[in-house]
Amino acid sequence: MYRDLPNRMKMLMAVVGVSAACVFQSPVDAATRATEALVASDAIRNPGRPFAVTVTLTEFLNGRQVDTSTLRSYSRTDQASGQFSSLIQFVLPARDAGKLMLKNGNDMWFYDPTSKASVRLSPQQRLLGQASNGDVATVNLAKDYKAVLAAEEEVQDGERKMRRALKLMLTAVSPDVTYASIELWVDAENNRPLKGKFYAESSRLLKTVYYRKFQVQLGAERPTESVIIDGLNPQAVTLMRFSDYSARNIPELWMQRDYLPRFQPE
Amino acid sequence: MMARSISFGYGMLAIISASLCLLSPVKAQDMAQAKEADPLALESAPVEKVESGGGIRVFLEGSIGSSSRRFGLGTYDTRRASLDISYSGRVAPGLRAVFSNRTDNLQPAPAGLDSTVNSLREAYLSWQIEGSDTIVDLGRINARSGPGYGYNPTDFFRDGSLRVLTSADPFALRQNRLGSVMLRGQQIWVDGSLSIAVSPKLTSRPSTDGWRLDLGSTNNRNRALVTLGTKFSQNLNTQVLLYKEDSLSASLGANMTVLISDAAVAHLEWTRGTEPDLLSRVLPAPSRSATRNRFVGGVTYTTLGKTSITAEYQYNGFGLDQTGWANLGGTPAAQLAYVGGALRLQELARQQAVLIYVTQKGLFLKDLDMTAYLRFSPGDSSKLAWVELRHHWQNFDLAFQLQQTMGSAKSEFGALPERRAVQLLGTYYF
Repeated sequence: MYRDLPNRMKMLMAVVGVSAACVFQSPVDAATRATEALVASDAIRNPGRPFAVTVTLTEFLNGRQVDTSTLRSYSRTDQASGQFSSLIQFVLPARDAGKLMLKNGNDMWFYDPTSKASVRLSPQQRLLGQASNGDVATVNLAKDYKAVLAAEEEVQDGERKMRRALKLMLTAVSPDVTYASIELWVDAENNRPLKGKFYAESSRLLKTVYYRKFQVQLGAERPTESVIIDGLNPQAVTLMRFSDYSARNIPELWMQRDYLPRFQPE
Repeated sequence: MMARSISFGYGMLAIISASLCLLSPVKAQDMAQAKEADPLALESAPVEKVESGGGIRVFLEGSIGSSSRRFGLGTYDTRRASLDISYSGRVAPGLRAVFSNRTDNLQPAPAGLDSTVNSLREAYLSWQIEGSDTIVDLGRINARSGPGYGYNPTDFFRDGSLRVLTSADPFALRQNRLGSVMLRGQQIWVDGSLSIAVSPKLTSRPSTDGWRLDLGSTNNRNRALVTLGTKFSQNLNTQVLLYKEDSLSASLGANMTVLISDAAVAHLEWTRGTEPDLLSRVLPAPSRSATRNRFVGGVTYTTLGKTSITAEYQYNGFGLDQTGWANLGGTPAAQLAYVGGALRLQELARQQAVLIYVTQKGLFLKDLDMTAYLRFSPGDSSKLAWVELRHHWQNFDLAFQLQQTMGSAKSEFGALPERRAVQLLGTYYF
């Protein structure tokens, strides 16, 4: 019984927190606050213009580094959906150098320059590769999810510091999303994303993500590292390090199958 | 002899499995430390400097293997060493150079070829007109189309493009094919593109000299291809193709890919044209032209367990039907020559075939992948099975491949001398 006390206290605090939010804030205010926090958090993660960034992925299993890979990602916002389209060029390991992966909504392709083969991918097939981890970093959540303010609480951030955070419950409103629901904690002070838990439609936890190492990149302080913890096996961890941000012209016609064999960035 | 080959195959498999287990990154002490690992204490690997623009890719591959044959022909050992180099980069504003070459040393030497074969797959310049989305290419270009896994009717430049067969995996075969010399122009817009390619006749006969460009295999007649690619929606992409070559009327083709669910993609290819049947193209038989179809349709389904399964139906109206195959069966050498000729042209020898293609990422070990396929000939129930286990390290791959043909002596795959082949490959990426 005494062992349960901390959890019960947490639950009590959450109930008090939500009740207080209800008492002192109208539901409309709370919803507006949640949406504003989500939009602001999106803007911190994602530059508001086309950009390129180098992504270094380091995979760990049981605390031991088992793999590294490097990608160069070229992203732009799709005017119709408001969502990011990304063309990812594999750089390392050498085996995969030059291969491309395109994600333009559900139009997803893998291109191998050696075989000249463009293979269409299903969303589930794309999840097999590390490139899909980018979805938790470069995505406009406000476009595809409805946000509800669930609580204001203390949470441990990626640097292992306690922060006052808004806990947002996100529910998918677009049918074509990878995650059915998300719990997102954003800093109550400055709307920085701190932590996210990404769930499948079955309510299974797919990934827990911490956003950390905030640095000024393309005019704003942005997280330059994500710690991604596998939902099924918490000892399978991937670090995504973002470096060499650059604003650049990324034409819309890059984001289609027929351009893949032509892709040759400056 | 057969028993020797079987035991060699399974012995190799046991050695590979044991080696991979020993080299597995998951060790007992790691398991013990697992509970202590704090994900937030982990540090990223150093950031590598990225040189944009593609650059050069080089790998070295070696293999040893054994092949057992039917009809009392015994077994023989195989060895191969390959050097693969490719480059793509800007050489001037708006101008890109593409180069791709492979040199194979094969023991025993392929029939009718030197033991060392150099394949200049691509060498061309690509010029993008400034301020426009028009691109012009000139040189030896590997222009391939078609989403089919095991047969690509809309890949009109496929015949004669395979000089060396290093694997039975259809995806690996595509990596070794020769391009055709052509002039190609392409206009690209947001949801599609239009390209026109003209490939002239440069010489008539394939070369047996391993160091020649072998333009006789890829440019032995005048050809032209127009391709219109369109993205109709995020779920539907198509290509419509019009192909014309010397002395034949134009052929029409189309292919498409459709996203049918979160986990499933369908693909279709179709062509219709008037040309001689396959028998008269590969053997000295009376030429009989007819207007017929070729077709491929398949679905790829991916599970949450990282398994992808593709089922594909293949149809070639110009291939031999059951009666034609039976008639050819009077002379087994003719059957063999026919199947070999079909492979050279990358055609379906029989009218129909079924392919099941499976990939499994992280089989037992994180970096161990399995690829396997079964090709089934419905006309005579013969089969070709192929499986590969491949382990990746940062710069090195180790793979074991096993290939088996099954069927009666007069069936499509049972007529092949090769009954079983095993191969161990190592690939180092620079």
